[in-house]
Amino acid sequence: MSELKTPQELGTEKIGKLLIRYAVPAMIAMLASSLYNIVDRAFIGHGVGPMALSGLAVTFPLMNLSAALGSMVGVGSGTMISLKLGQKDHESAQMLLGNSVTLNILIGVLFGALSLIFINPILTLFGATDVTIGYSREYMIIILAGNAFTHLYLGINCILRAAGHPNKAMVATIGTVLLNTFLDYLFIMVFHWGIKGAAIATVISQVLAFTWQCFQLSDKSELIHLKKGTYRLRGDLVKNIITIGLSPCLMNAAACFVVLLINRGLLKYGSDVAIGAYSIINSIGFMVVMMVMGFNQAMQPIAGYNYGARKFDRVLRVLYLTMFFGTCVTTLGFAVGEFLPDFCIRIFTNDPELTAIAHNGMIINFIFFPLIGSQMVIGNFFQSIGMPGKSIIMSLSRQVLLLIPFLIILPHYYGINGIWYSLPASDILSVILGFSLLIPQVRKLKKMI
Amino acid sequence: MDKHYCICIGRKFCSGGRNVAAIVAEKLGIKVYDRDLLKKAAQNTGFSEQFFDEADEEKTRKGLRSLFTGHFNGNGFSNNYLSNESIFNMQSDAIRKIHETEDCVFIGRCADYVLRDSDRLLNVFIAADINDRVARVCRHAGEGMTESKALSLIEDIDRKRSSYYNYFTGRTWGDTAVYDICLNSTTLGYEKCADIIVSLAKEKLGI
Repeated sequence: MSELKTPQELGTEKIGKLLIRYAVPAMIAMLASSLYNIVDRAFIGHGVGPMALSGLAVTFPLMNLSAALGSMVGVGSGTMISLKLGQKDHESAQMLLGNSVTLNILIGVLFGALSLIFINPILTLFGATDVTIGYSREYMIIILAGNAFTHLYLGINCILRAAGHPNKAMVATIGTVLLNTFLDYLFIMVFHWGIKGAAIATVISQVLAFTWQCFQLSDKSELIHLKKGTYRLRGDLVKNIITIGLSPCLMNAAACFVVLLINRGLLKYGSDVAIGAYSIINSIGFMVVMMVMGFNQAMQPIAGYNYGARKFDRVLRVLYLTMFFGTCVTTLGFAVGEFLPDFCIRIFTNDPELTAIAHNGMIINFIFFPLIGSQMVIGNFFQSIGMPGKSIIMSLSRQVLLLIPFLIILPHYYGINGIWYSLPASDILSVILGFSLLIPQVRKLKKMI
Repeated sequence: MDKHYCICIGRKFCSGGRNVAAIVAEKLGIKVYDRDLLKKAAQNTGFSEQFFDEADEEKTRKGLRSLFTGHFNGNGFSNNYLSNESIFNMQSDAIRKIHETEDCVFIGRCADYVLRDSDRLLNVFIAADINDRVARVCRHAGEGMTESKALSLIEDIDRKRSSYYNYFTGRTWGDTAVYDICLNSTTLGYEKCADIIVSLAKEKLGI
């Protein structure tokens, strides 16, 4: 939030120029985190085997749930800290930093320990079979053991961003991706540690990133730094952190529930291999989605400021431009997915069975991609102009509310293809919903110009 | 020492805080800032008044809606100029600017927290007996207001003011330790409350 210190220019500078300037750093961060997924899966697919890929895919809902809890603390404390820094209330900001560290450790250890105790039933529930559970467990035990570090790393990154160091946060993100790539190569390709190697690489790179962050935050000349006496939890601070962070957390948790449904459906109507195929499709789709999110993040301050300043012509212009860019990105994704699916799949595997399933899935899944760019932008647009309710309906509709009925009904008629059909079916419905919410809003804005 | 002094008045809903503030301001020959403050803030940022009203201290959300949309307008994960946090910051800037340029009385809006580092600040809280407040609400609202409706309105607005204040300041709204003095306008009357505040202000703020 602090990178936006000059709001006036948001009301005067050319929209295209502003959008690009805000979008580039956001897109780099987004690309980095989606690359992380791709790299891990590519090394496991090629270095360990197609079944390991399925074993890894089974663990995603659990990892997402953990990330959801991490983001709750991160977003909550980041928002509070940036508020306190705005008020020059450094003491409270410091307390919040200390409290968020404690909270992250507490939740991280608790979540890790509970999941470790119940690891077998959890993985079975998430769609692991006798063939894949060995891989899932081997991977997850190490990840869960390092779970507190994952939370700390993600949480402090949010705080670095909120405290006016977005560049440091970006260095940590990119550094972790590069380190993880190198260690993946070393552990899987050179040492032949198997899927365990990927987990160790992840934990090591997060521990190192966290150490670097601590180093950054221990500089006493900084406005906020890690300090003795701030780690004891204070009820009111914890309450505020959780109140703010709960809504992004619930959104993530809902998304992870849907992945669980998809995985179980793929297993029921297909096989273990199909779960691996979905994780390949998902990685590519995720990258496209993340790039649109980069534009969305850039649109927020521009649309928000101009809406507040009642410059509605500029609000509409940034909306249209972002929708255009978003559509370009998703159309590119569409082209790659429809015309070069095997090229994408080869990044992850050479296995003919897996390739065939992923090929079929990708062609179905990406069919409405050119349209979802604008759907995502619309959802975010409502967020930017202070209508979080509509924005949440938009993001839940595509990934949860409209998807779940399709996931339950369609496979009865079409078998495994029913699962693949569900995704574009909910895409197209949510696009219609999006435009039916947006058009009246645009009319209202046009009247006010 | 700060060039200008200020008196910050916190108040329970319908406790006569505004009346007391007006008398104090008249006696000292200074201005009262309440909602006007929002307009002032609006002018400086180019934002329309409407958004400051929406983010006001009596507009917090509760229940299921707040669970999904955030406690206040706009939720945590957006970089948004319309979030309550950023509007609170703009409002705070306006409060500081006013404090730098004139002596005045602030009503509510966490001004006591925003100006906490000032050495010429008197922080007052005004409360009143509940029967008195209910009667006041009924008198002001006119037709259709019953005692039980008035009571729940009072509870609702007090709760909103409290959660707004506690959220933004980290202090506890209405906690005696926060204020220099807490007065009951039922037992003392508006005039006497104002007298006490003025004499205390003269002593403490070096007027």
